[in-house]
Amino acid sequence: MDRSFRHVIFVLLGCFTLLFVQLNRVQIFEAAALQDNGSNTRTIQREFDQLRGEIRTRDGVVVASSEPAGPDSPFQFQRLYPEGELYAHSVGYVSFTVGAEGVERTYNAEILGDTPSQQLSDLTSLLDEDARSGSITLTLDHDLQRVAQEALGERVGSVVAMDPRTGAVLALWSYPSFDPNLVAANNSTEANAARAELLEAPGNPLRARSYRDTAFPGSTFKVITAAAALETPDRGITATEPVFETTTEYLHPLTTRPITNFGGRPCGGNLTDLLVQSCNTSFALIAAEILGPAVMVNQAEAAGFNSVPPFDLPGGVASVFPAAETFGARVAAPTPEVPAGVFENSPLLAQAAIGQFDVQATPLQMALMIAGVANDGIIPTPHILAEVADANGRVVRRNEPDPWRMSMREDNARSLQQALITAAQEGGGNTAAVPGLVVGVKTGTAQHGTDPPLSNAWIVGFAGLPDEDIELAVAVLVEDLPDPGDQTGGRIAGPIARQLFEEYFSGRI
Amino acid sequence: MRARRLELSLLVLGTVITVIAYGLLNAGETADIRAEIAIFFAIILVLLIGAHVVIRYTAPNADGLLLPLAALLNGLGYVVIARLDDGLAASQSAWTFIGIGAFAVTLLVVRDLRWVANYRYTLAVFGVGLLMLPLIPGLGVNINGARIWLRVGPFSIQPGEFAKIVLAAFLAGYLVEKRELLAISNHRLGPLNIPDLRHFGPLLLAWGVALMVMILQRDLGSSLLFFTLFIVMIYVATARTAYVVTGLLLFTAGSFISWQLFSHVQTRVDIWFDPFADPKGAGFQIVEAWFALADGGITGTGLGSGLPNKIPFAPTDMIFAAIGEELGLLGATAVLAAFMFFVSSGFRVASSTTVVFEKLLAVGLTALLGFQAFIIIGGVLRVLPLTGVTLPYVSYGGSSLISNYIVLALLVRISDSTPPSRAAPAADARVTTVI
Repeated sequence: MDRSFRHVIFVLLGCFTLLFVQLNRVQIFEAAALQDNGSNTRTIQREFDQLRGEIRTRDGVVVASSEPAGPDSPFQFQRLYPEGELYAHSVGYVSFTVGAEGVERTYNAEILGDTPSQQLSDLTSLLDEDARSGSITLTLDHDLQRVAQEALGERVGSVVAMDPRTGAVLALWSYPSFDPNLVAANNSTEANAARAELLEAPGNPLRARSYRDTAFPGSTFKVITAAAALETPDRGITATEPVFETTTEYLHPLTTRPITNFGGRPCGGNLTDLLVQSCNTSFALIAAEILGPAVMVNQAEAAGFNSVPPFDLPGGVASVFPAAETFGARVAAPTPEVPAGVFENSPLLAQAAIGQFDVQATPLQMALMIAGVANDGIIPTPHILAEVADANGRVVRRNEPDPWRMSMREDNARSLQQALITAAQEGGGNTAAVPGLVVGVKTGTAQHGTDPPLSNAWIVGFAGLPDEDIELAVAVLVEDLPDPGDQTGGRIAGPIARQLFEEYFSGRI
Repeated sequence: MRARRLELSLLVLGTVITVIAYGLLNAGETADIRAEIAIFFAIILVLLIGAHVVIRYTAPNADGLLLPLAALLNGLGYVVIARLDDGLAASQSAWTFIGIGAFAVTLLVVRDLRWVANYRYTLAVFGVGLLMLPLIPGLGVNINGARIWLRVGPFSIQPGEFAKIVLAAFLAGYLVEKRELLAISNHRLGPLNIPDLRHFGPLLLAWGVALMVMILQRDLGSSLLFFTLFIVMIYVATARTAYVVTGLLLFTAGSFISWQLFSHVQTRVDIWFDPFADPKGAGFQIVEAWFALADGGITGTGLGSGLPNKIPFAPTDMIFAAIGEELGLLGATAVLAAFMFFVSSGFRVASSTTVVFEKLLAVGLTALLGFQAFIIIGGVLRVLPLTGVTLPYVSYGGSSLISNYIVLALLVRISDSTPPSRAAPAADARVTTVI
C-alpha cells in the first residue's frame, strides 16, 4: 500500500511540475508574442483607461476633454469634443471601436502623458501610472476656425490658414464635416453605427479634404509658373520685362487645340500684368516655349509638389506635378525663339502651366506655396501642435518653427508679392481686398466634368499690416460649383479669404 | 503541541500576507489605503484563531500546516475576488465565514471516523443521490450549460461538491473491506486478470452511475476528477497496476466516445488544440486568460493595476489567470507551491495513520483537492482541455468553499487520531494495563 501510495504522490507532484513549466512558457517565453497578438486588445484598453488630457486651441478653447464614463461603459473615461464638427478634421477623435484620427492619433503619447519629457517634469506620474496625463495646445485659432466654417457655409470645400513665418496652422476646415462625439462613443454598437452612416453620407464627411484630397489648382498654379520664370534669369523674364503680345489664344505647333483665355478675352503684358489678368495664353507660352519641362518640374517641386508635406497630422498626401519624362523626348533644339526647345508633349506642359492636365494639389499645399511667397521664399514646416504640457499643466515642449524648403529667391518672392498685391487691387481677386491691409491674392477657376459642367473655385493669398511682415497666408477651395461660365474663384472664394483676413486683423485695422 | 504553535504562527503570517495584499490592492486601485483594513485584519485573525482554538481542543495533535495553507489560499483568493467584483467579495466573505464554521462543526461533531466505514453502502446511495438532485425538474437549474445547481431560495448550491466527499468516503469504506479480494484475480479475460465480479460489481456500479450522472449534467470537470479519484483510490488500496492500465484504457475509450457523441466535448478539444483559431468566439476564454498571463510576466502588473476583468469567468474558473496577471509568475508559482505543500501535508497525514480506512480516506480527499487544482489550472494553461471546476479555497463559490473546508476538517481529524509521536506510548500503556 505504501508503494502505490508513493506513486500517487509522484504523479501529483509531476502534474504540478508540468503546470509550473507551462506557466513559465506562457508568462515568459511566449509573453511578447501574446502581447503582440492581433486579438489582444489589452494595450489599447489600458490606454482607454488612462486619463487623456485636454486639447486646446491657441486661444484657450477646449476642443477635446475626458470625463468619467458612466457605469455601463467598458472604460473609465469618455472622450468629449465640445466643439463638435468644427475640429473633426484636425483634432480628429479617438475611439476604441473606430480607431484614432487627427491630433488624437499623432499626439496620442503626449495627450496620455507618456512622453519622457512630461514624466521627468512631473515625477509623480513617472511612479504612478494613474496620475499620468498630459495636455496639448494647438496652433489653431478658434475665432478664425469659426469664420472659416461660417464663410464656407454648406458648400463642399476647404479653408487653410497659416502663419507664413512659422508654418503654424491657424485654421483647417473642410465641409462636409461630422461630429466626432458620435464615433468616439464608448458604446461600440453606437460608434460602429455612426461610422457606417458617415461612410455612406454624401460628400464623405469623414474625409479631411483640406490635406488629403487633391484637385486641379487651376490658375492659382500660375504663381508657380511665374516663380519658375523669375527663378530662371537666363530666359530673360522679369516682373516688368518683356511685354508679351496680347492674344486671345495660344496654339502650340504640335497640337490643333488652342488654349484660350477665360471668356475668350484677349490678354498680354509683362509678368505682373499676366498675373493680374490671369492670362492663360501667355503663361502657356512661357512654360511651353521659354521654360521647358525641367524648369517647370523643378519649380513645382521647390514649391512642395510631389512630396507629402511634413505636417503633423496623419494621412497627408502629396500634390502632383507630372514628371519631366511625361512631356516626352525633345524634338527640336532650343532656338532664340524657343529657348526651352520643343518636346513631344509640350502642349501638355502648356496646360500644366495653368494648373490643368495632370496637376493636382491639396488646399494645404496651395497654402504652403503661397506662404513661401509671403515668407520671402522660405516655405515653413506646417504644424498644428503649439505646446505640450505635463499632468500639472506645466509646458514641457514648444514647437519651434522650422523651414521646410526654399521655393525661390527673396527678391523674386518680393516681386511676386507685389504682383499679387496688384492682382488683389485690380484683378478678379479684388473681392478679397481689405481696406487698411496689404493683401495679395491669386484666384483660380478650374472646370471639371462635362455633364453637368462643374467648377472649382480657388483663391490663395496673404495679408499683412502696411510696412510689416506678412502674417497670414490662406488657401480656399470651393468644390463642385455648378459652372456659370465666369471666374468663380474671385466671386466665390475671394469673399471667404477676405473674411479670414478681416477676422485675423480685427482690432488692428 | 509544537504543531499548534507552528499553526498559530503560520496563521498569523498568512493573515498578514492576505492583509498586505488587500492593502496593496486598495493602493493599486485608488492610490490610498482604506481605514477598514484594520477591521479586515481583525476579522480574519479572529476567524482563523477561532478555527485554531477548535483544533486545539478537539484535535490537539493534528497536522499544523493544513489550516494555514488553506487560509492563505482562501485569503489570496478573496483579495483577487475583491479586486474583480465587490459584490462577489461580499458573498465570498460570508461563504468563508460559513466555511470556517463548517470546519469547526465537522471537527466538533466527527470525533472518530472509523464508524463511517460501516455505512459505506448508505454513503454510496447518498452520494449518487446528491449528484442526481439537480436532474430533478423544478429543483435543478442550468447555469452555463451544466446542470449541477440546485436553486434554494436566493442561493445556488452545487450538491456535487459535497457528493465528492461522500463518494470518497464510500470508496475508502468499500476498499477497506474488499481490497484484498480485489487484489486477487481469479478470472482471466485474454491478457487481463479480472477480480471476482461479486466484489468488483458494486464498486463498478457506483462508479458507473456517478460518472453517467456527471456526463448527463455536462460536468466534464467533475467527471474527470471523479474518474481520477476512483483510479487513485483503487490503486492505492490494491497496489495493482492492472487497475490503472484498465482505467486509462477505459478513460481513452470513454473520452473518444464522448468526443464522437457530444458536440460540446468536440468544442472543448478543438479549443484545447488551437484556441487562437477562434480568438473572439470559442477560444475567447483561454485566449483572454493567456493575454492576461502574458501581461503579468514575472512580477505581475500589481494588484489593482491589471485588466483581469477582461477574462471571462475570472472569479471562478479563471481565477488562476487573474492571479498570474496581477501577481505574475512569482505569485502564480506561490499558489502552485501552496497546493504542493497542501497535497504533501495531506499525504503525510495519510501515511502517518495506521487505520486503513483513514489512510484511504486521507489519500482520496488529498487526491480530490490536488487533482481538482491540477484540472482547473491545467485547463487554464492548456495542459488539459478546459473544464469548469473551481480552484479549491481560491475560486469564488459557496459550495466549493464549504465542502473544501469540510475536507480540511476531515484531514485535520485523521491527522489527530493516530499521531505517530503518541501512538507508541499509548500502545505501551495499554499493554501495561493488561499485564
